Amino acid sequence: MDLLLQALLNGILIGGILICLTIGFQLTFGVLHVIDFAVGGWVMLGGYAAYWASQLLGLDPFISIFLVFALFVAVGCAVGPLIYHVRTSRYARPDLMALAFTFGLFIMMRGGALWLWSFDSRSVDSWLSGHSLSLGPVTVPLLRLSAFAMALLLAVGLFVLLYRSRFGLAVRAVAQNRDHAGLMGVDVKRISAYVYGLYTGITASAGVLLATIYSVNPEVGVRYTLFAFFVAVLAGLGSVGGVLVAGLLLGLVESLVGTYVGTRYSLLVVFATLYLVLLVSPKGILQRGI
Amino acid sequence: MVSKRPRRSLLPVVAVVAGAAALAALPAFIDPYSLRIATGVLMWAGLACAWNIVGGYAGYISFGHSAFFGIGAYVTGILMQREVGLAFAATLPLGVLVAVAIAAAIGGPTLRLRGAYFAIATWAFAEMLMQLATVLDVTGGTGGLSLPAYLNEFFFFYVMLGVAAVVYVGAWFLLERTRFGYRLKALRDHEPAAEALGIHTTRVKVQAFALSAGITSLFGSIYAYWVTFIDPRSVMGPEITDQMVVMVLLGGLGTVWGPALGATVLWLTNRYIWSSFGDTVVYLPILGLLIALIVLFLPNGLISLLPGGRRGGGVLGRLWRKL
Repeated sequence: MDLLLQALLNGILIGGILICLTIGFQLTFGVLHVIDFAVGGWVMLGGYAAYWASQLLGLDPFISIFLVFALFVAVGCAVGPLIYHVRTSRYARPDLMALAFTFGLFIMMRGGALWLWSFDSRSVDSWLSGHSLSLGPVTVPLLRLSAFAMALLLAVGLFVLLYRSRFGLAVRAVAQNRDHAGLMGVDVKRISAYVYGLYTGITASAGVLLATIYSVNPEVGVRYTLFAFFVAVLAGLGSVGGVLVAGLLLGLVESLVGTYVGTRYSLLVVFATLYLVLLVSPKGILQRGI
Repeated sequence: MVSKRPRRSLLPVVAVVAGAAALAALPAFIDPYSLRIATGVLMWAGLACAWNIVGGYAGYISFGHSAFFGIGAYVTGILMQREVGLAFAATLPLGVLVAVAIAAAIGGPTLRLRGAYFAIATWAFAEMLMQLATVLDVTGGTGGLSLPAYLNEFFFFYVMLGVAAVVYVGAWFLLERTRFGYRLKALRDHEPAAEALGIHTTRVKVQAFALSAGITSLFGSIYAYWVTFIDPRSVMGPEITDQMVVMVLLGGLGTVWGPALGATVLWLTNRYIWSSFGDTVVYLPILGLLIALIVLFLPNGLISLLPGGRRGGGVLGRLWRKL
């Protein structure tokens, strides 16, 4: 029973970060209609940024996360227009070309990281590492709890921005209908670039948190791309609200399979579930996808 | 136009046969290392052609073709173990059969998904099979599987050459000269319209998917026997799919000869980088950059630069006419 409680708790704590990891991805899909294969790449780069911030500047990841966020918003705003250009081009299949483009970005990031930093795993230390709270039968590592809180803070911040600001109104308008939003005076190109920047910023921040809890190496990107896809598909592609449920669900599945079946089966179960969900219900378990 | 067709239509076959004949004489002139590279070019050309059937002609971007490559490799690998002891030639049709059966079985439900959903589903499927190969005993798990060694580079060169030539002539005939090819292109260009014209789109898509899977598996089988050692990452890893996709994009999506061109250019680049830098890690960022640049600047691939390319000649064609 204690084991079950502990597994559930770990699942929820990781699930919170997975929400943060996927929420920007969903927003990008909703606005740009692009599946971004590079999502895991942004996570990985965020992790490395936090590593270098702590090595070179001696910054704690919970402080450098704000710098990383700002840095990657800038990077994303620079990359966004390229993706917008491909997506709205006159190519025969702009959706597939955009997919191929982000696929190329992802290979570039992964290859670049392998080239520059080799296969070694790097861990980012925080002053919270190693401390934990005891709550009755379960122990709560402070690091994971703070990361969970930070992830939720980012997610809530995004929701506030989306639903309580003029910018958010414009974003939602573009997501609903690009042409009509354009006719109403929304600068669709600029909004798309900002949304992509927001997405890379929030995803890289999730990467900082994940690198602090686990560690970062060039191969983690594939895994997190998969996780983002999993959560996004379960939530229904483009549905930002569904991510809240689906993220927690993936955290719980991974934690429970890892505890009771064995960690080497957890990826197999995740992939199999993803495949089956796509076949049975491609609009997501809540039927809210586009 | 119609009266010209028979004469024109035989030209590619003649070209492939002549090209294959010229290549058949190649081993006499080059050293064993170059021969290995040539064998690699032929294999990748065949794989790119297989991917192009689904990705270029049906318009369904599959990110899971490494699964079928791995299926071929593992069927051959497992059946050639001493306990089973089948001959290499006997394992080839079995590998193809398994791959086609699996592709047909998963094709029905998977090909209902459009665009990005299909890409994610095939990717998940391939990763799932790779994880399965990692945990199963029969595949040797992460430890991999050794095959009986047959160290005859000439044999593998000629096998790859023969299979690749047959694949290209077959693909050209099927895709450009039969109703099957027209149906595929029709559903790629507008699926509901194709269906309204009475094309059984699901059946055509599954046929194309199974054909593509079978060819991919065939090369997987030969590859396994060629390198004599396989493990889940080397034959089912995402790099295999990555490479197929890039080669087709580079050469020209949805053209018969583009994949061969793309495969040749990319594989020679790969080997060149490998021999001059000592590892393939530098290759990955270049590969990624190449994809991004092609998508941005050359969406119809290298073949559109050649005279007589899709856009009536493209850049080089215009230059050519000026000269």
